[in-house]
Amino acid sequence: MNDQQLADRHFARRSRQVSRRSFNAGILAPVVGAALLPLGCRRSIRSGSASEPLNLLAWSEYVPPAVIDGFTKETGIKVSYATYSSNEEMLSKLLAGGTKYDLIQPSEYTVEALVRQSKLAPLNFDRIPNLANIAPDMLHLPYDPEQKYSVPYMSGTVGIVVNTHKVAKPVRGYRGVFRPEHRGRIVVVDDPREMVSWAMNTLGLNINEVTPQALERVKPVLANWIPLIQAFNSDSPKTPLIDGDVDLGVVFSGDAAICYQQDRKFQYVLPEEGAHRFIDNLCVPTGAPHQATAEQFINYILRPDVSRLISDKFPYTNPNLAARKLLTADQLANPASYPPTAGKLETFRDIGAMSSEVDKMVTDLRVKYGR
Amino acid sequence: MVELIGVNKQFGEFVAVDDVNLQVGSGEFLTLLGPSGCGKTTLLRMISGFETPTRGTVWLDGRDVTALPPYRRDVNQVFQSYALFPHLNVRDNIAFGLRMKRTPKADVQQRVARMVEMVGLSGMENRRPNQLSGGQRQRVALARALVCEPKVLLLDEPLAALDAKLRRAMQVELKRLQQRVGITFVFVTHDQDEALVMSDRIAVINRGHIEQIGPVSEIYHRPATRFVADFLGQANLLPARVVQRETFETELMVADEIRERIPSSRLPDGASTAFLAFRPEKVRLVPDVAKPDDRSACEPNSFITTIAEELFRGATDQLLLRTPKGTELTAVVPNGSATVLAMHRGDRVLCHLHPDDLIVLNAGQ
Amino acid sequence: MTPMPTATGLTTAGRPPGVAGWALMAPLATWLGLFVAAPLVILLAYSFCQRDALGQVVPAFSTHNYARVFDVVYLRILGSSIFYAGLTTILCGIVGYPVAYYMGRAPPRRQSRLLMLVMIPFWASFLIRTYAWMTILKENGLLNGLLYAARIIPDVLSGPMHLMYTPFAVVLGLVYSYLPFMILPIYGSVERLDGSLIEAAADLGAGPLRTFGRVILPLTWPGIAAGAMLVFVPSIGMFAVTDLMGGNRVLMVGNVIQNQFQGAGRDKPFGAALGVTLMALFAVSYLLAARSRRDRTR
Repeated sequence: MNDQQLADRHFARRSRQVSRRSFNAGILAPVVGAALLPLGCRRSIRSGSASEPLNLLAWSEYVPPAVIDGFTKETGIKVSYATYSSNEEMLSKLLAGGTKYDLIQPSEYTVEALVRQSKLAPLNFDRIPNLANIAPDMLHLPYDPEQKYSVPYMSGTVGIVVNTHKVAKPVRGYRGVFRPEHRGRIVVVDDPREMVSWAMNTLGLNINEVTPQALERVKPVLANWIPLIQAFNSDSPKTPLIDGDVDLGVVFSGDAAICYQQDRKFQYVLPEEGAHRFIDNLCVPTGAPHQATAEQFINYILRPDVSRLISDKFPYTNPNLAARKLLTADQLANPASYPPTAGKLETFRDIGAMSSEVDKMVTDLRVKYGR
Repeated sequence: MVELIGVNKQFGEFVAVDDVNLQVGSGEFLTLLGPSGCGKTTLLRMISGFETPTRGTVWLDGRDVTALPPYRRDVNQVFQSYALFPHLNVRDNIAFGLRMKRTPKADVQQRVARMVEMVGLSGMENRRPNQLSGGQRQRVALARALVCEPKVLLLDEPLAALDAKLRRAMQVELKRLQQRVGITFVFVTHDQDEALVMSDRIAVINRGHIEQIGPVSEIYHRPATRFVADFLGQANLLPARVVQRETFETELMVADEIRERIPSSRLPDGASTAFLAFRPEKVRLVPDVAKPDDRSACEPNSFITTIAEELFRGATDQLLLRTPKGTELTAVVPNGSATVLAMHRGDRVLCHLHPDDLIVLNAGQ
Repeated sequence: MTPMPTATGLTTAGRPPGVAGWALMAPLATWLGLFVAAPLVILLAYSFCQRDALGQVVPAFSTHNYARVFDVVYLRILGSSIFYAGLTTILCGIVGYPVAYYMGRAPPRRQSRLLMLVMIPFWASFLIRTYAWMTILKENGLLNGLLYAARIIPDVLSGPMHLMYTPFAVVLGLVYSYLPFMILPIYGSVERLDGSLIEAAADLGAGPLRTFGRVILPLTWPGIAAGAMLVFVPSIGMFAVTDLMGGNRVLMVGNVIQNQFQGAGRDKPFGAALGVTLMALFAVSYLLAARSRRDRTR
């Protein structure tokens, strides 16, 4: 395998997840960058017209180029695609001022947070008739109960990948993963909120009731788990699995699906204790200069033939039922993309300032018990 | 004390030292003299151990040291650039060698102090090399080598970096020092004055071999080759051919115009050509009052010249003389002597060369 | 020692720069002001602010961030960062010195060729090179494959070597990344080293080891110090290598800071406080080093 393929694989953001990476090898770069954000360029943006480009702020490697090119071809409207690697980075770019974005791609709990701060514009669903293609159980979810602000883009779960050639004993949940005999053979996504949710599910707590008391109970569980973990990786948690450096992973279903495509020895398991189901959405921020175009783009994306292109490239769970009909049997049979049994799944809710506590606790624990 | 036997050194194709045999006696001041690139420094470096001979052996005090690295040889060197350790002060520079030999501390202190005094650096012990003048650095370099009491001290053009006045003073000082400590000195220089002033013996090196080795006066007065005659001191060098050879005396025609009569014993048997060399100060000059032609014809070893150039040299005057046929000679006369006063540029003078002052060299050499 | 007034000390330092001098300095001063001083001021200001629920900076004065920096946990991250950066620096020195020495003493033509070899890795992106290391070290990778082909696995070692996502991989990655920054300044000081000093030491009876210890090492020390600075300072803030090759398991302060600005930490004021603390640490240690150097030369 050459470097380019490698790099592609690592950067292909099939995950919708939080990333801590920007590969500037220095501490000052991000610091200076952040410090200069208020000075960021101000592009004058006039009222929307067909000749002006649509400003899309989306996860890197999440919208296939074919989809964007198709839109331009059909409408003549160019799409300028700015990317981010985490919900937090997106918030940063969105709230900094500067460029006014027309379309963003927040995950469910970030939608909730943005709605709470009145940062999202209500959508005109008259312009989005294709919403009818979306599975009903993907609509009117707690983060947008009236389905006013968001349209589901892709969905997925965070579950367990097992290399069955190395791990003979069946693994059914988090308890089966974090066992002393698996020390040094586990990869997990690098996300404090996720890790806390696994511990809370294991303890039988509601993953969205993150309180100081709950965290006190989570602490000893994670203290036991962290020393067993070999790698924390949100960018490409499948890599250590495929490379043979670890045998077990708690990863995004998109990564799991790719592992499965590569070798059937990788099995995807939805933890019996419960798992996080995430939904990435398309939303229009308040003050977007081209809201109508953005809605036109959303409607375009919801077309079965377009949505199918996304599934081909990024094998998450496609909420678009019409598009699913166009998928191959193989794609639909991938247990990571479309789990055969419905597990105990739950979305994240915004926990506000507690997320800082979560991060602090996990960082503390990793320093204390890691290595 | 030092002996080189059949020593040869090649760098790739280039032969730097070509089959040299050399002996240096105990307590002797020997100078290796030659132009730059002649191999004198390579020769020195083979004694100190920085170069290994391609062939031949190096002996020190009766011991074959050819294979020994420099730090195992009982010799010390004073480097051309002094090579003082810039991070150490004067005292530590001088003490370096003793410390390397694990000399007891008290001993080191005492010997360093004595050496500092001897080279006249008292009060500067704590200075770093970059805070010293050229002459002071020179003394530190000397002290640093001498304090080790080597069997042989090697000096590689140690005075080259000093200005002329300081250099002359150091020449005398160095010579005195050598006589006082009684250590064998092997001194490398390209400066003939330096060699003449300081040495007991001089080895003139040319193209990797020794042209001539001997006491200073012998080298000066009886150079064995044209190269030596030319390199050491000033010399007039003229081609000559035998006109008539008799039992005791031979008549030569020098530069096709000057007749010289010399004892036949000075000329190798059967030689038909030779070179004559003579020092400028040996040319005796008399103002010429007579007609040009008859004089040169009648008096042997005398000839007429014109003063083409007059150079003021301080203590002496240097005169450039031109013969009627255009041969040029140099003569040196004491400044202010009566004869000089009477002679000026353009004047004709009568030159006289005594046969004893003539050095006859084989044409081939 | 009495300080000797040097020519430069007397003229350049004492003379005001003049109009032309100021004009020449203006671009640099502007650059420094815009891209060094101004961000530093903003960083300092941030470090006393707070964050809101969305991670935005709220200008409400608080020293809480610094209290958190000096919490045992973060002091430990700082400690382990210093440990790994220090280890990297020492290993770079041990590996880099002989290379730099060889380069510095080589004939000029070969020197420039060797210099080229040191620079060549910079032609490829840092990321690509790190991924190349990962292909070598991973369990299904080149190294284990070679060991297998050479029958060292499973004849000598029972199984493949687990190298990725270990402290070993992190230190290897750091040493690999920063080795040129150690080699180049040492090479510079070795190249300037007068060869006759080495000969003088040998002449005075110092064998190779003592020549190295007493002469070569002290005289090339400025190069080593510069190299150590160039390796240590960026190593301590490095996060890409710890992330990719260490599986983010070995945390360094750089990771934590980055996490506050671009990751899930979302606490820019805290990240700024960490950054300010780190810079203060560097500044203080630099001043101490400068003072001890001044004392030594006295």
